[in-house]
Amino acid sequence: MAAPLAWPSSAAVLGRTCGRWLFTGAAGGVLVLILLPLIFVVWLSFFRQEIPSFPPDGYSLRWFRAIWTNPKFADGFAMSLQVAVVAMLAGLLLGVPAALCIARFRFAGREVLNNLLLLPIVVPGIVLGTAIYVFHVELQGFFSEVTILGSIGGLVAGHILLVIPWSVRLVTASLAGFDRSVEEAALSLGATPVRAFFRITLPIIRPGIVASALFGFVVSFGNLEMTLFLVGAGRTTLPIAILQYLEWKIDPTIAAVSVVQIALIGTAMAITNRFVRLSRVV
Amino acid sequence: MLIGPATVFVTLGLLVPIVILFRYSLNDFKAGVMMVEALTLKQYALFFTDPYFIAAFYRTLRVALIVTLLCIVLAYPLAYTLARTQSRWKNLLIMLIVLPLFVGNAVRAAGWMTLFGNKGFINVALQWLGLIDHPVRIMFTEPAVIVGILAVNLPYVVLTIQSVIEGIERAVEEAAFSLGAGPWTMFRRVMLPLATPGFVAGAIFCFILTMNAYATPVLLGGPQFVMMGPLVYTQFAVKSNWPLGAAVAFILMSATLVLTAGANLLVQRRYRR
Repeated sequence: MAAPLAWPSSAAVLGRTCGRWLFTGAAGGVLVLILLPLIFVVWLSFFRQEIPSFPPDGYSLRWFRAIWTNPKFADGFAMSLQVAVVAMLAGLLLGVPAALCIARFRFAGREVLNNLLLLPIVVPGIVLGTAIYVFHVELQGFFSEVTILGSIGGLVAGHILLVIPWSVRLVTASLAGFDRSVEEAALSLGATPVRAFFRITLPIIRPGIVASALFGFVVSFGNLEMTLFLVGAGRTTLPIAILQYLEWKIDPTIAAVSVVQIALIGTAMAITNRFVRLSRVV
Repeated sequence: MLIGPATVFVTLGLLVPIVILFRYSLNDFKAGVMMVEALTLKQYALFFTDPYFIAAFYRTLRVALIVTLLCIVLAYPLAYTLARTQSRWKNLLIMLIVLPLFVGNAVRAAGWMTLFGNKGFINVALQWLGLIDHPVRIMFTEPAVIVGILAVNLPYVVLTIQSVIEGIERAVEEAAFSLGAGPWTMFRRVMLPLATPGFVAGAIFCFILTMNAYATPVLLGGPQFVMMGPLVYTQFAVKSNWPLGAAVAFILMSATLVLTAGANLLVQRRYRR
């Protein structure tokens, strides 16, 4: 190793070390800022008293039981879960073939189609909601015998729209470094196209599909802005129930509801993480 | 063809509705009869002459600019640390950043409400420390909304910048250091130009999200703190004024698009190599 021209002065070394600590400290501080609201929601859900004042009088688990006595939360949860599962499956069914097509074939208008399919994540939720709402109003005018406005079908269709771009984006990403000659080799060795697809292509895009299932589910389950316009009268989803409750008051009950949601999504992430490393897909 | 169904679905489900929405924004509104078929720019004119709407527009722009600026500055240390760490906890750290992103804005607003209230954690802590005598109002103020949206957007921006930094060879940084550059010079002369695409993408994402924020301004800003997203909803669902609601939605979308495209152009010109 070549000798340095001059040893850095001890003050400079000290300054460098301090800077290093400051930088890492800032990184940690930002992480805390991101996590802070969740930490406090979890804390509040265990308070004994109903008013969210500090320090708490004591701790209790009774708010978790209180959730199920409020039908809005139970109904909203069931509705969100059903809509998210159906929308995720339908979105994958539409999005994955489209992603394969975009990643594997070169055709005119490919870029345009790719951008079109990604559009639902670019268009703001509130604009998406209003646009789909007026679309349903117009459709209702044409087909007066079926209910479209505020129907479950309309709600699910809107949510499918949210899942498609994620599956297109994540599956095309998983095919980015894919060498087509592997597939051609399988074909030339006598595999049928179907067999080649299941033995070669599918294993390669599997992480992409798993990740899009997670993202699709979460995006649909948590959607608020678009859903506000599409839920019919007398129906609610969990995010809407939470929002409406919070507009009125904050207490340990709503915190407990939030904790259930955090736990559900955390579990979904942990399960997905067993199949694909999340740090590789996000 | 494989791509057909998805294309048809998105075209019918998104493009057609947006066209109809634009058509609605050109209609007229009469109290009692609601929407009247017309071809007029009245709603747009109404928006830009009413002080209430103009204030909401500028408030949204101001909050979006402040949040974007803070977001970029704050996201960098965490993004850099994540990109360069060799720790086996890296995956867990990433999950800790993604989890808040996934649990939804209303839940995160609930957390801030526990902190910001009159008997909330911050006020109690400040009183305990003897810094204040009476609770300070934090809820329903602009800073509360800014902090709330900032925390909502940070994960997106951190992950965007992190993925760009991961694509930059470590050797480039080390070369700068071995040539005698300090950390600040290294950042300015090496990291900033190379990571610009990440910063720009993160800033644009953050700006769009803030312009269109809904739950956070509603919950932390209260009914008096009107931003554009909630305004669209109120015009539609509460006032049943579809033409005006459609016009506000279009003004919001165009303002967001024009400003992000402009900023993108500006940065590209500045950093063209």
